[in-house]
Amino acid sequence: MRAFSLKGLKEEGISRMNILRILLEKIKRLLGIITAVHRGKATDIIAFELTERENIFMVLLLGSLIGLPSPPTIFALELLPLLEKEMEVMVARNDLSQDPLGALMGMLNID
Amino acid sequence: MGRHIFFLGKGGVGKSTLSSALACKMQETKKILHISLDPAHNLGDIYGKRLSERKVSITANLQALEVDLSLWMDRYLQWSREELKRQYSYNVTINLDSFFNILKYSPGTEEYAVLWAIEQICKENEQVYDTLIFDTPPTALSLRFLSMPSLSMRWVSELRKMREKILAGRQTLLRINPESQSLRGTARKEDDQVYGKLAQIHYRLEYMYNLFKMKSYLVVVVNEDKLSLAESVRIKEELARLEIPLSAVCLNKTGCTDLDETTPQIKSAFPDIPVFSSEIVPGRINSINDLAGINLDDLLSDYLSGENI
Repeated sequence: MRAFSLKGLKEEGISRMNILRILLEKIKRLLGIITAVHRGKATDIIAFELTERENIFMVLLLGSLIGLPSPPTIFALELLPLLEKEMEVMVARNDLSQDPLGALMGMLNID
Repeated sequence: MGRHIFFLGKGGVGKSTLSSALACKMQETKKILHISLDPAHNLGDIYGKRLSERKVSITANLQALEVDLSLWMDRYLQWSREELKRQYSYNVTINLDSFFNILKYSPGTEEYAVLWAIEQICKENEQVYDTLIFDTPPTALSLRFLSMPSLSMRWVSELRKMREKILAGRQTLLRINPESQSLRGTARKEDDQVYGKLAQIHYRLEYMYNLFKMKSYLVVVVNEDKLSLAESVRIKEELARLEIPLSAVCLNKTGCTDLDETTPQIKSAFPDIPVFSSEIVPGRINSINDLAGINLDDLLSDYLSGENI
């Protein structure tokens, strides 16, 4: 009888521990999401600036193709194999250029 | 290794003739490589031998070659095309083939080919020869390839600064929000291939700039007429702007006409640069033996005196 209740208590303890652990996990995840959102918000402008810089870097490099003053195309050619990701950025930014103000306003949370 | 000698000047003033006469004179005591960068090659005609991309011996101490610019360009474009195909995982939105076809006519391509050819030739032959003598293409192209290192260096250093800012932005983002969608590629200068490539291009341009500025003996050839004088004055001004020193002026074919009144003008146009003159050779330059008739002793001694400093 005594041994049984002890066992029961033990089981109960384990399940309580489990519940606690699960709760802790959930809180952790929630906190993680909250910090991620905050980190995301905090770095929005930095990220925007970075993307824009990468875009400008590419536009400068390939400027001669669209009539901008630029370094000799031959240098662009030498760098081009290493700039695949930046090329994607430039193409994506190009699509966005239809509504650049809208994109900026969205990023700054202005409705 | 002495300084490299470059002959500049208007087309037809006798750059090739004078440079080959100098080469023939110098090969008596030194080992010389004579390089023609002019797309309208006539060095082979003077030497009476068919020249090509590979060195041809004229005498025991004198070798000559002609640079084929379109070959250098094709070689370079081919390399770039393969590199692009190898690196890119998918065909990017631009049509690569038409891009490469345009590139041949893109500004800067031709002078870059000349620059690249000079760089390669110098690096390969500096140890083997005492002096490299270059016969340059028409003035416009020569000035463009001479100005290319300093102009491009400015571009490349601006691009480097820009790249540094991008990398700094990535570092900040990596610290605060490592999961950001905007993080592409490495944030460290040492790992960034683009930064490395820019540094490499900058190094190469600097090498070429120093080669023109410090390791070259630039000679402008001029005739006794107003047009060639005007063009050589333009060369002088352009070189001054680039801070590349002009070493000597060579007045060729004196006494051939009665236009001698330009001679004092030439001396006054180049007050601080030695002016040497070579008289017209009776008859024509038909073979390598006729070149001995051109007296370039003063020019040669001026070149050699600079070497000892």
